[in-house]
Amino acid sequence: MRGRRPKLTGYLLRRAVGLVVVYVLLLGVAVTMALPFLWMVTTSLKDTYQALRLPPQWIPRPAHWENYPAAWNAAPFGIYFWNSFFLAVTTTVGDVVTSIPAAYALAKMTFLGRGVLLGLLLGTLMIPGQMLLVPSFVLIKRLGWYNTYWALIIPWTAGVFGIFLLRQFFKTVPDELWDSARIDGCSRLRYMFQIAVPLIRPGIATVALFKFVGSWNAFLWVMIMTDKVELRTIPVGLRYFIQDIGTDYPRLMAAATMAIVPVLILFFFAQKQFVQGIARTGIK
Amino acid sequence: MPLLSLRRGRRFWLETVEAYVYLLPTLVVLGLFTFYPFVNAFRYSAYDIRTRTVPGPVVHTSPAVDAWVPLLARGRIPEELAAVLASQGAVRDELWVRARQADRWTLKDDASGQEYIVIREGDLLKVHRAATRWALDPVGWQNFTRVFADPDFAKALRNTAVYVGVSVPVTLVLALLLATLLHRALWGKAFFRLTSFLPYITPVVAITMVWAWIYDRDYGLLNYFLRMGASWLGLEFNLINWLNSARYVMPALILMNVWRFVGYQALILLAGMQGIDREHYEAARVDGAGAWAVWRRITVPLLTPQIFFLLIISLIGSFKIFEEVLILLQGPGPEKSGLTIVYYVFTKAFDSGHYGLASAASVVLFAIIFALSLFQLTVVQRRVHYER
Repeated sequence: MRGRRPKLTGYLLRRAVGLVVVYVLLLGVAVTMALPFLWMVTTSLKDTYQALRLPPQWIPRPAHWENYPAAWNAAPFGIYFWNSFFLAVTTTVGDVVTSIPAAYALAKMTFLGRGVLLGLLLGTLMIPGQMLLVPSFVLIKRLGWYNTYWALIIPWTAGVFGIFLLRQFFKTVPDELWDSARIDGCSRLRYMFQIAVPLIRPGIATVALFKFVGSWNAFLWVMIMTDKVELRTIPVGLRYFIQDIGTDYPRLMAAATMAIVPVLILFFFAQKQFVQGIARTGIK
Repeated sequence: MPLLSLRRGRRFWLETVEAYVYLLPTLVVLGLFTFYPFVNAFRYSAYDIRTRTVPGPVVHTSPAVDAWVPLLARGRIPEELAAVLASQGAVRDELWVRARQADRWTLKDDASGQEYIVIREGDLLKVHRAATRWALDPVGWQNFTRVFADPDFAKALRNTAVYVGVSVPVTLVLALLLATLLHRALWGKAFFRLTSFLPYITPVVAITMVWAWIYDRDYGLLNYFLRMGASWLGLEFNLINWLNSARYVMPALILMNVWRFVGYQALILLAGMQGIDREHYEAARVDGAGAWAVWRRITVPLLTPQIFFLLIISLIGSFKIFEEVLILLQGPGPEKSGLTIVYYVFTKAFDSGHYGLASAASVVLFAIIFALSLFQLTVVQRRVHYER
C-alpha cells in the first residue's frame, strides 16, 4: 500500500500527524504548568463559599477583589515587600560587584594558584547549603549580627554561579582589545569596567536576574537568622501568615499571588536573559 | 628545587598580586560564610554545643543588699527589683527566679525569654541583662552514635531516599520527553518555554501554599480531577487525603516537585538539543533511520553532558528537600512520613537546641551527597559523550 502512494504525500501526512500529536501533548503540558497559577488567582477572587464549591468556578462571579486589601492588612506585608526588595537589590549589586573582578581575574589573568582556586570554587557547588546552617547560625550569633540586615546581606554578596557564568563571558572578549588598551596606557581596572564589562552586559544581566529572583525567594536563611517582624521577607512572612490565618484559602491565595506577581513581571520583561542563563548553565 | 621566583618573571608576580586583589572580596565572603562554616560543621559534630547564659551589660546597681538577698534566697523577687526589670521591658507577672546561688541569681522573663542575672559584689547588687555564650564540650563520636541510634533519623534517611530515588529519575525522563516535544515544535516555542519555566522561578513558599490547596481532600483540584476521571471511566473513587495520610505524603511531595522542576530541566536539555550538529541527523536520515532510532541513537547520546549535569544538580538539590515539607505539611507529617534529613537537622538545631547533634546529622548528609557525586564523576561520567 505505502509503496503505491506518492512518497511525498505519505511523508507530509506523517509529518502533519506527528505535528498534531506534538502540539496536543505540548498544550497538555502548558495547561498542567499553568493550572495551579490559574487556580491560585481564581481562588483569590472568591469568597469562602465560592471557593468550596465544586465543580470550581473558573471565573468567579462576583469577583471579590477585596480579598487583596484584606490579606494585605492582615499582616505587615508592606514591611515584607520592602525587605524582600531591599535585600534582593543589595545582594544583587554586591554579588555583581564582587563577581566581575573575580571572574575577570579567573578568565584573563595568569597567576599563582589559579587552578587550585578554580577547583576550590567549583567544589563549593557540592556543599549542600543546609549543611552550613548550624555553623553559620553560630557565626552570625557570635558576630552579633543576629536580627540585623548584615546577616541577610553580607553572606550573599559573593557567589560562585555568577563568577563562573561571567568568566565564560569574559573569555569571549578578544585579548587584542586589552593589548591595545594597555599600549594606550589604560589601567587594567579601567579597561575591565569601561571596555570589557559593556561587552558582556548580557551575562551580567543574567547573573543579576538569577540573583535577584533567588534572593526574593530566599526563605530558610532569613527564618533562621532573624526572629523580628521588621526583618521578615515575603516568604518568611507568608509562613507566619499561614500559621495565623489557617485555611482561609481565598486570602492565602491572594497573599501567594502578591508574592508571585513581582517575579512574573520581572520574568516577562527579561525572558531572554533567563532562557540564556539556563542554556548556559547546561553547557559546561 | 629552584625558587619559583627565579623561573617566573616580575610581571607574573605583579599580575598574581593584582589578581588576588580582584579576588579578595569574593574570597573574604566565601571564606567567612562558606569555607569556615564548612569546616565548623565537622568540628561542631564532635561537640555538645548549647547556649549558656552569662552576665551581660549592667542595667542597675543597688546598695540594697540586706533587703534583697533574703528574698532572692527564698526564690522571691523584691518589689523594687521587679520595678527595675519592668522598666527594662520585662513583664512582671512572667518573672521568676530560675537559678539560685550564694551570691548570684538568675531571673527569667517568660514573656520574652530574656534572662537577668543579679550578682552580689561586696555591698552592692548588680543587675545584668543576661547574654548568651556558646559553650563547646567535646564529646567525640557521641553525636554520631546518638544520631544513628535515633529511629527518627533512620526514618528521615528512608524518606529522603524514597523521595530522591523516585523524583530524580521521573523528573529527568519527563524532562527529556518535554524537551523532545519542544524541539519538534515549529511555532509557539517561546510560549511553551515560558509556561514550562514558570514553576521554577516562583517562590517555593508561595507555590507550595497553592499546592496545599490543590491537595485539599474535599475541595482541592487534584481530587476533583481524579474523581472526574474515575467517573468518566466508570470507576469508584475514594477521596485521597493527600496531606494527612502517611501513604500519600511522599507521592504528594514528589508530584509537586516534578511539576516544579520538569520545565527547567527540559529547557536545559532543549538548549543541548539545539546545539547538536544538524549533520548527525542528516547522515542518519540518509541511512534511513526512523525517528525513534535517531532519538535513541543520536539525540540521547549527544545529550549525555546535559543529562549528567542535571543528574548531579538534581541529586544534590533533592537531598536538600525541606521547605516544601514545612509549608505543605506544617510539620513532619502524619507518622513523620514527611520527615527528611534536612528537616531532622532543622528541628534538632532550632527547635531542640542540640547544635552538635544537628551538625553530626548534616555531616552525614554531606557524606551521602559527596559519595554519590564522586560515584557519578568517576563511574557515570565515563559514559558521557563530550565530543560533538
